[in-house]
Amino acid sequence: MSDLLIIGAGPAGLSAAIAAAEEGLSVTVIDEFPKAGGRLLGQLHQEPNGEWWNGIQKGEQLSQRAHQLGVTIQCEVSVYDISQSKNGWEVYTTRGEYKAEKLLLATGATESPIPVKGWTLPGVMTIGAAQIMGNVHRVKPGNSCIIIGANVLSMAIANELKLCGVNVKEIIIPKADITSNEAGNPEQVLSSLMRLTHLAPTPILRQLGKIGKMVHPKIAIRLFPKKGIRMFDIPLRLKTAALEIVGDRFATGVRTVNIKANGEIDHTSEKVVDADFVCIAGGLTPLSELASIIGCSFKYIPELGGHVPVHNEQMQTNIPGLYVAGNITGIESAKVAMAQGRVAGLAIAADITNDWEQMETSINKAIENVNITRDKALIQFHPGISDARKKFYQKSEVNLTQISKIKKREA
Amino acid sequence: MTMRVECHPVLGNLENQRRITIYYDDQAYQAYEGDTIASAMMAEGVKTLRYHEVSGKGRGVYCNIGHCFECRVCVNEEKIVRACLTPVSEGMRIHSLS
Amino acid sequence: MVVKSDDNKIICRCEEVSLGTIKDIVHHFHCSSREVKLRTRAGMGYCGGRICRTIIEKVVQDINNEKVSNESQLSYRPPIRPVTFGQLGGSENDDES
Ligand SMILES: Cc1cc2nc3c(=O)[nH]c(=O)nc-3n(C[C@H](O)[C@H](O)[C@H](O)COP(=O)(O)OP(=O)(O)OC[C@H]3O[C@@H](n4cnc5c(N)ncnc54)[C@H](O)[C@@H]3O)c2cc1C
Ligand code: FES
Ligand code: FES
Repeated sequence: MSDLLIIGAGPAGLSAAIAAAEEGLSVTVIDEFPKAGGRLLGQLHQEPNGEWWNGIQKGEQLSQRAHQLGVTIQCEVSVYDISQSKNGWEVYTTRGEYKAEKLLLATGATESPIPVKGWTLPGVMTIGAAQIMGNVHRVKPGNSCIIIGANVLSMAIANELKLCGVNVKEIIIPKADITSNEAGNPEQVLSSLMRLTHLAPTPILRQLGKIGKMVHPKIAIRLFPKKGIRMFDIPLRLKTAALEIVGDRFATGVRTVNIKANGEIDHTSEKVVDADFVCIAGGLTPLSELASIIGCSFKYIPELGGHVPVHNEQMQTNIPGLYVAGNITGIESAKVAMAQGRVAGLAIAADITNDWEQMETSINKAIENVNITRDKALIQFHPGISDARKKFYQKSEVNLTQISKIKKREA
Repeated sequence: MTMRVECHPVLGNLENQRRITIYYDDQAYQAYEGDTIASAMMAEGVKTLRYHEVSGKGRGVYCNIGHCFECRVCVNEEKIVRACLTPVSEGMRIHSLS
Repeated sequence: MVVKSDDNKIICRCEEVSLGTIKDIVHHFHCSSREVKLRTRAGMGYCGGRICRTIIEKVVQDINNEKVSNESQLSYRPPIRPVTFGQLGGSENDDES
């Protein structure tokens, strides 16, 4: 039995493990992926100072540090159920049962689907699947591709695929319907890109971000060229929609059509664009299934990517002894996940030693660091994250162990 | 045909990869140590990993991180696993499901 | 604008349930996403609904004119990864069938 069991060896889980182990806790981290690092592994983008954010290296650094501190990391372990016992937690996995006093869920995010006709054909995959194939496994899913869904993630990964030698023919949007609305509305897509990308790690996105500060999206989308604009030489076509993915036994291309700023379809422009594979980029949403089966309360917060388990700034959920960190609490960059992981690790150490007063300064400093990291984040997945977080934490219904303690002290 | 990204401008070149042999539906394929079943088959240009149990339509890797279960295959005639989460090993025998 | 032919596109990949089927059920029974799930098996496949649930909820909410609620209707149930009887018995074996 460990003091702390962490589910998910991504940036949040590993950072929490490091922080907790530094405080002397015995920590075990489990993950179903064959390598530790989580979705960090696929990440590869250029920072404003020109340096590359190499997720594989970052992941290795975190795992190494954790190992040095005596953390046990076990991969290829899938968690399928959890129950709470008198002494803590029992976690059921494909490799047997794990027990721990405290439990941290750091399961990250999952990609939202965009159901396009033909999307079950082999050769159609999520944009993240292609990222991991290329950057982690070093295999191209094909020589050419089309990306359906224009958002920060798909634009960043389009460039990564290009670095792998893939000819990214175009980034287009899904045809608007009941399953896709925002992602299929040219004006809303542009508006969201313009709001998100003033700090983005690519010049063209930053440019859009700057324009966004001056021009209303309604006007901008009217001016947006039918042929699209080029980003790292990849056409971004917000006025082209995917009607269906074509192919007999596997995907061979996409039937596309031009659309007007208001979404109206120009049927005469219908054509098939060939590609070896097709990526679907529907954005990310927190992967909170384990929190759900444990019985956490949830809040629906669009800015954070969907339903998130209710928690406070110390990463405690409304269930005693259960903590969350990273993208399960809302979709943000890996750096924020790491900062949140540190908070969780420290808070759990305080919880176990029951010494919140001793730890208060370092926990508060770690929380402050989350906020700073958030404000400086290059990639923001949704507009308004900071404000949504602040509101969420102010109203947090989680009765903090330490708050009650601090209050007692004040009284 | 290989779809390996042997050279990469930022991540560097793949060097000294240990090659192993795996069998998919009784046909031999070369894989690299460290591959998952999914990446090994993708590198060989095999996109279809199973057939839908009702419609019989081909399916392949969709999420690549264990969420969708589209990539499930049978290994060594006993275990059903997600190809995207399962590392290959020398002589591994993989069968598609239908 | 929804073209009728879109209705045959698949929403639930595991169970191959189409958009049209889901829409018909909601219109016909004026029902919730939970009921859609029970009537069509959409969301009850191998992946446990991880892939399709948000879209099913969205379609149902759109048709019924509801807002997204804090507690999701299609809550997850254990096991969230398919397991064998062997595993439930505690044996160490990572079969996922
Ligand atoms: C496909 C994908 C691509 C992304 N690409 C980028 C990008 O390019 N840039 C960027 O800034 N952000 C990207 N993100 C966002 C990413 O979520 C964050 O950057 C960051 O990795 C979140 O860290 P985390 O530790 O919260 O979760 P993750 O890094 O997602 O780690 C969670 C870990 O939990 C494990 N896990 C989940 N459920 C279980 C279970 N039941 N049993 C066992 N293990 C489990 C997973 O295998 C995973 O390794 C991406 C996200 C996804 C899903
Ligand atoms: S491709 Fe989704 S589980 Fe393997
Ligand atoms: S996609 Fe619907 S249950 Fe898996």
